[in-house]
Amino acid sequence: MNLLTAIVFLPMLGAVACLVVPKNLVRQVAVLSSAATLGLSLWLFPTFLGGGGSDATAIFGTSYGTLHHVIRLPWIMGDSFSIEFFLGVDGLAFPLVVLTTLVSFLACLASWNFNSWKVNKGIRAYFFLFLLLETGMLGVFVALDFFLFYIFWEVMLLPMYFLIGVWGGERKEYAAIKFFLFTLAGSVLMLVALVAMFFYSGDAIAAAGGSVASGYLEGVMLQHGTFDLIELATCPTIQSYFASGSTLFLGMKFATVMFMFLFIGFAIKLPIFPFHTWLPDAHVQAPTPVSMILAGVLLKMGGYGFLRLCYPIFPTGGEVWAYVLACVGVISIIYGGLCALAQTDFKRLVAYSSVSHMGFVLLGIAVMTKAGFQGAMFQMIAHGISSPMCFFLVGVIYDRAHHREINRFGGLWLTMPRYGTMATIGFFASLGLPGMCGFIGEVWVLLGTFDAGAKYPWAYPLAIIAAASVILTAAYILWLIRRVYLGKEREEYKGYLDVSGRETFILASLAVLCIALGIFPTQTVFNFTNGTLDLMLQQVTNAIAMVSQSAVSGGLIG
Amino acid sequence: MDFDTLRTCALVILLAPLCAAILAGVFGPKLKGHTHWVTIGGVGTAFAFSVMLFLQVRAGHGAGFPVLIPIYDWLLAGVGKAFRVEFLVDPLTAIMLMTVTGVALLVVIYSRDYMRDHGACERGYERFFAYLALFVFAMCALVLGGNFLLLYLGWEAVGLCSYLLIGFYYDKPAAAAAAKKAFLVNRVGDFGFGLAILLIYLTFGSIEYQVVFDMVRQGLDANGHALAQGTITAIALLLFCGACGKSAQLPLHVWLPDAMEGPSPVSALIHAATMVTAGIYMIARCGAIFTASPTAMMVVAIVGATTAIFAASIALVQTDMKRILAYSTISQLGYMVLGIGVYAADSAVFHLFTHAFFKALLFLGAGSVMHAMGGIIDVRHFGGLRKVLPWTFATFLLGSLALAGVPGLSGFFSKDEIIHHALTAHPVFGAVGLVTALLTAFYTFRMVFLAFAGDEKIPEGVHAHESGGWMLFPLLVLSVGAIGAGYLGVGAKPFHHFLEPVFANTFMAANPVHGGHGAAHPSFWQAYGLMVVSGGLAALGIFAAYLLYVKQPWIAGLAKASWPGAHKAAGHKWYVDEAYDAGLVEPAKKAGRVCVGLDDYLIDGLVWLVTAVPRGLGYLLRTAQGGAVQGYGLTMVIGITVIMLVVLWNSA
Repeated sequence: MNLLTAIVFLPMLGAVACLVVPKNLVRQVAVLSSAATLGLSLWLFPTFLGGGGSDATAIFGTSYGTLHHVIRLPWIMGDSFSIEFFLGVDGLAFPLVVLTTLVSFLACLASWNFNSWKVNKGIRAYFFLFLLLETGMLGVFVALDFFLFYIFWEVMLLPMYFLIGVWGGERKEYAAIKFFLFTLAGSVLMLVALVAMFFYSGDAIAAAGGSVASGYLEGVMLQHGTFDLIELATCPTIQSYFASGSTLFLGMKFATVMFMFLFIGFAIKLPIFPFHTWLPDAHVQAPTPVSMILAGVLLKMGGYGFLRLCYPIFPTGGEVWAYVLACVGVISIIYGGLCALAQTDFKRLVAYSSVSHMGFVLLGIAVMTKAGFQGAMFQMIAHGISSPMCFFLVGVIYDRAHHREINRFGGLWLTMPRYGTMATIGFFASLGLPGMCGFIGEVWVLLGTFDAGAKYPWAYPLAIIAAASVILTAAYILWLIRRVYLGKEREEYKGYLDVSGRETFILASLAVLCIALGIFPTQTVFNFTNGTLDLMLQQVTNAIAMVSQSAVSGGLIG
Repeated sequence: MDFDTLRTCALVILLAPLCAAILAGVFGPKLKGHTHWVTIGGVGTAFAFSVMLFLQVRAGHGAGFPVLIPIYDWLLAGVGKAFRVEFLVDPLTAIMLMTVTGVALLVVIYSRDYMRDHGACERGYERFFAYLALFVFAMCALVLGGNFLLLYLGWEAVGLCSYLLIGFYYDKPAAAAAAKKAFLVNRVGDFGFGLAILLIYLTFGSIEYQVVFDMVRQGLDANGHALAQGTITAIALLLFCGACGKSAQLPLHVWLPDAMEGPSPVSALIHAATMVTAGIYMIARCGAIFTASPTAMMVVAIVGATTAIFAASIALVQTDMKRILAYSTISQLGYMVLGIGVYAADSAVFHLFTHAFFKALLFLGAGSVMHAMGGIIDVRHFGGLRKVLPWTFATFLLGSLALAGVPGLSGFFSKDEIIHHALTAHPVFGAVGLVTALLTAFYTFRMVFLAFAGDEKIPEGVHAHESGGWMLFPLLVLSVGAIGAGYLGVGAKPFHHFLEPVFANTFMAANPVHGGHGAAHPSFWQAYGLMVVSGGLAALGIFAAYLLYVKQPWIAGLAKASWPGAHKAAGHKWYVDEAYDAGLVEPAKKAGRVCVGLDDYLIDGLVWLVTAVPRGLGYLLRTAQGGAVQGYGLTMVIGITVIMLVVLWNSA
């Protein structure tokens, strides 16, 4: 049994089980299956701790660039195409897989009080969709066939729509449909790219004589177009055809257009200004555990998509759009921060802070430097830990007070001391206090942006503006803490129970990780991710250099 | 000097308070009123090992320093280099560590009684001691760190502790607001500091002190090119930005007076003796960078001098004892910054050292007054306390004499040195230093006279009483320091000689006044003449305060009435807070509201427009399929008619 297949489909098994077990056991089954998935995903660790040489199913490259636990089965085969069930995990996917299983497990625990929710009907359906969502998310992170990737991408979309639309707050239908439409718009662009990339890769092979050696598998010849993401990124014939200035799509350069199509699809997910307005609405209306998943995992798919698809397959597109993307990233950072500053709704504030934090991910990736890529990746993991914590903190008080008006709170630290302490840890991690997880990612991204100044002079001012956001972030978070947790104890909240054992467990697990990631960033994240990211960046820069070289020499001959 | 001993000392100094913080935090609820023992143990151990480290450094004087002690690889930089957790030990570190842990130990002892009565919040007692131990850990980490990233880490960590401790009485809205303000204003400084570190890393390819400083001295960057003067000036100024935040220099001084909302022991330890001097420490540590840029040094000196006199002018009219002391702290920090700016880093560190004693003493004394007055600290509400609080009065008086710069006490020697160097650097700096000295003596004794002289006046319902032994003991110890510490800097100047190896290559060598040969020996008249002048100014200030506030109080009233505008403006701290509000805070909030408006109307409006197209089409198509058979029939008839017409037309 392939480990990845097990990890991906175990939640689905649990989902089916939720439909058949007695109603009073549904919660237990759901928590158990998400816990089991987490346990299984931890089995991936030995592979990465050991460097990965011994893995019999490993393919492609060396060390961290290697794809581990690969499974490759023909799925839909035709004369001129082959769609495969192709899963694998490398340094890019591995931390995200573990993050997904972890956040899902904690969010599942956070759903434990389902029966006391405002909308508490359909417990079976809720946990069924919840676990189905987990399968979809895990599938996205490990699928290496574009077609399969797309299917998982859509599988994840539908449960989310229902989870928000059925179990959400007052304006849940609006929020759900908004989420759905935004994401669907991205999916459509991605679908166009999917089809176009398949046909163009076929054209490339046909132009090269109809049979081309695979870019990474020995002794394999490509006869027709492919959906294989690794192939698209590594096969020299396809790569040079994609990057060539004479390959046109709708009259524009193929790489430039395709990059943008994919980028927009992922940018909506990340989300990036101006595609972000679905996020605050979705978060505010979604139930707490769904918000945790949304912030902790779903947003990361955007960043993952950039790193898995956009840059390796269309490096020249990244080069063309670098300035625009970096600017948009910085705008997101500042814009999200300013919006957060103006919020009076607790959950909306946290949602906008996500927009700001995710801006760093885009900035780090856009400048295409080692530190930038690494920082963006770290920022994704760090935000994947700290933002579910913040959303759960909001949920805890919402469960008790049934409102989220920041200005109506006050003195909660006095009322609920343990909750106050946890909140301080969570929000300071989000603020980017050194020694906690938020700090490393931001610093790395800034370092990478400064570093990019050598090739892109515009990187310096952008880095300075992005760095100024530390003030903005501190402003809205400290102001929030002051209004909600400090100050006089209010009469209406007296007698509120402090966080329960279950709530403490969820918060404490995340709090420990917030600190651990800040103190041991190398051991917890960088050791696993840097190999793959550096390799990826190397290929990207090589490809860019080659294209600009050929452009120069072509110019000379012409 | 023995490397392993130093390593052990450094580790114990760091880990003992950290363990104390964790123990106090975890077991505090069980220990309750005994939690202070945990922190006393942890900080006491740190102090003992600081002394040991100091002795080690002194024993190996001149040879082999600074010592770099690597601990472990912290993280791998994106460019392939490792950032290590490493300590740097040299005489400056040794002195800072002793000052920090020593004052901290006394403050912890003092807090045992003080916090017992002022633990306004439930569970407050153990929380306080946990934070305090955490602060000592963070401050020691800041001082011990061997590279810029660790400095930054400690820098932010002390900021966090300061935030938590200012907001200790978090049910008080003023305290909650002050905590936020302190952290936020410091963040503005840290923004510059952070950029400086990035710039250092990109220029020199390293963040280790020694590597960076060596390259600065050689004038080379990471690629072996000559270092641009602009780069080094930018780095120095950005670093100074951070120092301005932490050490409350203009224009980032606004947080410190508000920080007095925290408990008095916190004010004494963090906001007078230790954390606020981190900026001074940083500039002194980065001497190589600062002295490489005369422009930056000039900025440092100007900011220091301006801050010194500006804060002193505000202190003249405040009525809250702790706020007077806070402005006094800002002013004294200004002296230190001025001292560094005129290349007298050893004098600045010396003033830092003596100031730690007498200012901690004054804050603890003010705390003792507050303790006796049932939490009231405004001098308008009490007076003539010398009989009720004899010990507090005696020690407070000693501290005030030291602060006022009365000859023979510690503050006199250290401040005089700075003024001397300022005078040789530029007459204006010297004049500012002297005028500030006069103001200092005046506002200090204005406070002393208002609180302790005259007829006894005690707020109603307050049972005034002298503090107990736990609080008086630290006051007495600090009094000894306030008197004696100054003598380390006279005669053979053991203090300065101890520090010499640290500054020999930087401030002393680069001093333009003495042609790069370190401090020149001033002539007899230069040295003693200045002493007489500044001693005279101190006496004059004290006498003026005596005249205005004891003998002829009407003069004070007349002065206030004659210059109402100036009095009001100084009372409002020259409207700096208001300027920040109008210039930064409100615009930021407005910008936030504008962004939200953009989101709700512009972006969502566009989205609505885009979705309106399919919606409109759908509406049209829906009306066509309403389900009414008559409608279908009509459409069918029309359709057939049209088709028939077309066919007929064509065939015709």
